[in-house]
Amino acid sequence: MRTRDVAIVSFAQAPLDQPPGMSETTLLLPTITEALERVGLTRRDVGFTCSGSADYLTGGTFTFVQMLEAAGAWPPISESHVEMDGAWALYEAYVRLLHGDVDVALVYASGRAGLSVSLRETLALQNDPYYLVPLGADYVSLAALQAKAVLAATGRTERDLAEIVARARRDAKTSANAAVAGDFAIDELLAKDHLVAPLREHDIGPPVDGAAAAVLVAGDRARDLVERPAWIAGIDHRADPHYPGMRDLARSASSTLAGEKARVHEGGVEIAELTTVCSADELVLRDALRLGDDVAITPSGGSLVGNATMVDGLARIGAAFRHTSEGRAQRALGHASSGPCLQQNLVCVLEARA
Amino acid sequence: MTATWKLEFPYRRSVGPVIGAFLGGLRDRTVYGVRTAGGRVLVPPLEYDPDTGEEAGEMVEVGQSGVVRHAAWISEPLRNHPVDRPFAWALVQLDGADTTLLHAFDAGSPDAATTGTRVRIRWAEQTEGKITDIACFEPETSS
Amino acid sequence: MKEPVQFMSQLTAVEYRVPEASALAQRIGSAIAESRIIGHACPECGKVYVPPRGYCPLCSVPTRDANEVDVQPRGTITTFSVITPLQYQGQEEKDDYVQATILLDGTHSTIGMQRINGVAIADVHTGMRVAAKWRPESERVLSGGAGRNLALGEAIAGWEPTGEPDAPLSEYADYIV
Repeated sequence: MRTRDVAIVSFAQAPLDQPPGMSETTLLLPTITEALERVGLTRRDVGFTCSGSADYLTGGTFTFVQMLEAAGAWPPISESHVEMDGAWALYEAYVRLLHGDVDVALVYASGRAGLSVSLRETLALQNDPYYLVPLGADYVSLAALQAKAVLAATGRTERDLAEIVARARRDAKTSANAAVAGDFAIDELLAKDHLVAPLREHDIGPPVDGAAAAVLVAGDRARDLVERPAWIAGIDHRADPHYPGMRDLARSASSTLAGEKARVHEGGVEIAELTTVCSADELVLRDALRLGDDVAITPSGGSLVGNATMVDGLARIGAAFRHTSEGRAQRALGHASSGPCLQQNLVCVLEARA
Repeated sequence: MTATWKLEFPYRRSVGPVIGAFLGGLRDRTVYGVRTAGGRVLVPPLEYDPDTGEEAGEMVEVGQSGVVRHAAWISEPLRNHPVDRPFAWALVQLDGADTTLLHAFDAGSPDAATTGTRVRIRWAEQTEGKITDIACFEPETSS
Repeated sequence: MKEPVQFMSQLTAVEYRVPEASALAQRIGSAIAESRIIGHACPECGKVYVPPRGYCPLCSVPTRDANEVDVQPRGTITTFSVITPLQYQGQEEKDDYVQATILLDGTHSTIGMQRINGVAIADVHTGMRVAAKWRPESERVLSGGAGRNLALGEAIAGWEPTGEPDAPLSEYADYIV
């Protein structure tokens, strides 16, 4: 099968600072406009649109349909939606462009995690209805079990977790999407009480509202729009068994496999933007993706400074896009995750070249 | 102060023969796992082998005691959690099982909830064929 | 083992915050409290939306306070249903009533779920010209936001025929829904 080269040519994310009462549609509309206008495109140039969001966050069935107005759905457009992080919408758009009949795809994602009285309770409903939902097992409690597993298996400590958090907050000082940023002393972080041991509150990214959009273009059209497109050198996603007790939580076999299929190490990466809602996730993923000390990890600050549920993964790929297109790396990867204890993982490797 | 609203759905879920056998076993205060073609006993059971994708095989009874593989102490349980005082989330490998069951361990203190601790099921007073028929785990040595 | 379980009951409950009203929603609510209906006219295509959404869905551009227009509480029924109220717990309606979609004069988006009063149900028809009857100010209960029906149901008792000749189909055919 002949395949085409597909590149990300543009990415935009709504800043955290917004007037009150913004809906996902009103957050998305200027974000999509910005992503398109950056490369001189309009909504009319788009051949396929794909979005990611979760109706669980709004509490209304089919609310994702309302967001379509932000994409400009008249005259009728070819579009699709996944009840997933926008990274998976990007994957679908990538596959669609491989067909060859369409050159430009718009991908967007949104989520208002702030609408839940308790995001922990809301997301707990997405787990196995027979074995986990009746226990109210929430993502923080599950992440804590995984944290225990990876600390035990690797000999890392809670200090290592605090260092990950401090680094993320330091890196995020100039980010428009950080709910928390700045310099934090390790010992001060470690002095706080546990939320669910070994995790403290700062080990979990604070839930925030989010909206982001990316533009994918195939073949020569990408070169017409930007000088050095960020080509998708590899993209893949895999899933582990859902039930946490079925697998070794210190490892992420699905991340390892996705990384191999995305050809991370055929050229390596200088920067890896990882979706780590919990600090311990970084320990699991670095090992799973075999990222050495020479790889800069999530210099955007990532989910630990602001967990934009449903947008995180697309935003990591967007950050990887910015690193490559702004010349900070020739190859960078963006990673997305979904499901309890890093159950499903997507890896996207971008390579900037003319 | 913000107003809140609640969305409720009353579900009646069909469970299928494999999960149904497991839940039926819990109702009767027994625990069943499923044996894969490769010989692993999965508890709780899945309809298929996660390693090969093959259909799971026969149901086998496993023990009601086991060992904690990992435990995470929670000092402020949420309202939906199985225990309403501080407890440890635990992954417990029951005797005869090759996987761990995720549940609450009413250990009493964080020091009593460590890897290697032997635990046993504390059954609910009334069982009804749900995972919560296991009220929680307790130390095997408790009277 | 005795019988396997066949069904598992599960009450799922999630709690959400009522989102803060945006500045625009508050403005819409204030206007309704003063018996005024406002719309936004798109700066590019000129279409008028009621209630204003803060953007034009066709041109994908923002609309702002500067684009605000006053809309007369007068329009044409584009479609309607006769509702026979199911007597479920909490139901306050007893008799059949008409719920209609109305295209207000000068606008390009309809408002739905509006009550039609002052006319026999059998006489209600599409194309019928109606005008709003506001509730006395003391009886208006405003939720402080613009819902799907513009929160008018809380400020407007219903819409009644004006007695004008019907609007021709050509005027509202593109706005039936």
